[in-house]
Amino acid sequence: MTIRALEKVSVGQNGIGAFILQCKRMDIHYCDHSGSSRGMNIFIRSMLQKFAASHPQIEFAVSPRPRKHPVMIGHYINGNQKSICVKNMEPTEILKKAELLRDASGEKIKRVNKSVKSINPSVRGIWSPYHGKGITV
Amino acid sequence: MKRVRLERLSSQLLAAPPARTISASRFASRAPRASTSSPRLRTTACLQIRCQSTTVSPDLIYEDEFIQEDPEEVDPRTLPLPSPPPSRAQYSAKLAALHARLSLSPRLPLETLARALIDPSADSNTKFNNTNLAYLGASLLQYHTSEFLVTRYPRLPLAITFAAMKGYAGPEVLQRVARAWGVEAAAAPGEEVDPGYLQFDPLRPTVEMKKGGYVRAESAEIARFKWRRGMSSRVTYDNAFGEMVPGQASVSNMHMAAVSNEHNEREKILRDAAQNAHANFVRAVVGAIYLHCGRENAKSFVKSHFLSRTLDLSNLFEFKVPTRELARLCAREDFEAPVARLESETGRMSRTPVFVVGIYSGKDKLGEGAGSSLDEARVIAAQNALKSWYLYSPGEVALPSDTFAEDAAPWKPVYIDIGEIIS
Repeated sequence: MTIRALEKVSVGQNGIGAFILQCKRMDIHYCDHSGSSRGMNIFIRSMLQKFAASHPQIEFAVSPRPRKHPVMIGHYINGNQKSICVKNMEPTEILKKAELLRDASGEKIKRVNKSVKSINPSVRGIWSPYHGKGITV
Repeated sequence: MKRVRLERLSSQLLAAPPARTISASRFASRAPRASTSSPRLRTTACLQIRCQSTTVSPDLIYEDEFIQEDPEEVDPRTLPLPSPPPSRAQYSAKLAALHARLSLSPRLPLETLARALIDPSADSNTKFNNTNLAYLGASLLQYHTSEFLVTRYPRLPLAITFAAMKGYAGPEVLQRVARAWGVEAAAAPGEEVDPGYLQFDPLRPTVEMKKGGYVRAESAEIARFKWRRGMSSRVTYDNAFGEMVPGQASVSNMHMAAVSNEHNEREKILRDAAQNAHANFVRAVVGAIYLHCGRENAKSFVKSHFLSRTLDLSNLFEFKVPTRELARLCAREDFEAPVARLESETGRMSRTPVFVVGIYSGKDKLGEGAGSSLDEARVIAAQNALKSWYLYSPGEVALPSDTFAEDAAPWKPVYIDIGEIIS
């Protein structure tokens, strides 16, 4: 028994194998009377049903919030939430915001410096100074 | 590795659940006891019907006067159920969203998914919790994982195979998978809770999934005195991850209330309740897919959610004497004896030297390693040579389960290795 095993846990990458939409719940708040909710009320009446039907993975919760601006809040699988105030917006703009919430991963916004991020080892390997012809100075 | 008899496991589950008894241990003291000769017998029988059950027994007669006569008896219809009733599953937005998020087939009803979310610690009745589904799912998960590993890496040592099984299908991984599916646990299980939450109670006994394996006669001594148990005996006695099945003596909370009448004392174990509940939910989903959508769908589900995860098997090895093992390998395979040669070096007299050592068998280079001393580099080179031997893979080969299909191609035997070098 010269080999012992170390315990490691496999790492999942969303989209390799199965894809799970990261937005799991969307709260939609509106006000019946305020002018800032006018676009939101039209969105709820005319567009939301179609949007919700095309995204069964997301749980939609519509609730009034009197005397407040309309808000959409996305809840994500990693536990984060993202809220967007949609006051005075047109219904088409609100639809764009809803799509933004749907497509977000829930991670914090980070600057991406490297164009490729991978956990797989490089095919070419890391450059080594001890191999090859060497460098003549 | 273990043979699975799926048809024997699953036939009982497709039968409609009969009416449920008020059997939760929580109510055990309050529930009336049946006595064979008493006139209360019929009352007891009707009390044991689950209030919101869809099953109706023909001789259901309510004799309320018996209940009225005894002030100590509580009408079970007023007691809350331990878990949400299956009829509520159709009205849960969370459950429907989870169903869609996993891209489950419409053939898998929401009621079954709701049942998969109920842990035995929340509802002890096996007709309503996920125990049976999880047992079936664990069999499938372990079967597909082991056939994948054995055919893909035929030279893997047994210890590494067990560790890889755990890395792909162990409880810790299943908990991570459940979290990645967006499953949330309920604060406390109960009738009024949304069926889309995972229902478990960390303070109550549950059933730990012990798929495969037997209790060793000397299990108490192994646990206490750390007796050695060999690798090959683990195939027969231990579970799919090479871990010993705990015996009677190691069960700590034997005094806790009964989980259910169907299970014996050994199965009342509680360690990491959240991990256990999440893992059982994931297994139960696999079992439910097998029952409702068939074998092929369950297989592709396991492949896409578990076997597609990344696990670097070369990180699992820990060698004791790699140089000796490599020498034995070369002797066994009739290679020339391995020789370590220094290939390049830098900074020998400095504080950060680097030596690159290659191990050669005749003219063939078996492995190469870099280290900060000559000995270290040689050992690392031997390890790399051994890893490249053990991690040989014939590539994408047919799996034994491919032949289950009706129009399957005839089975071509896969590569089988003669075994480990020093076992």
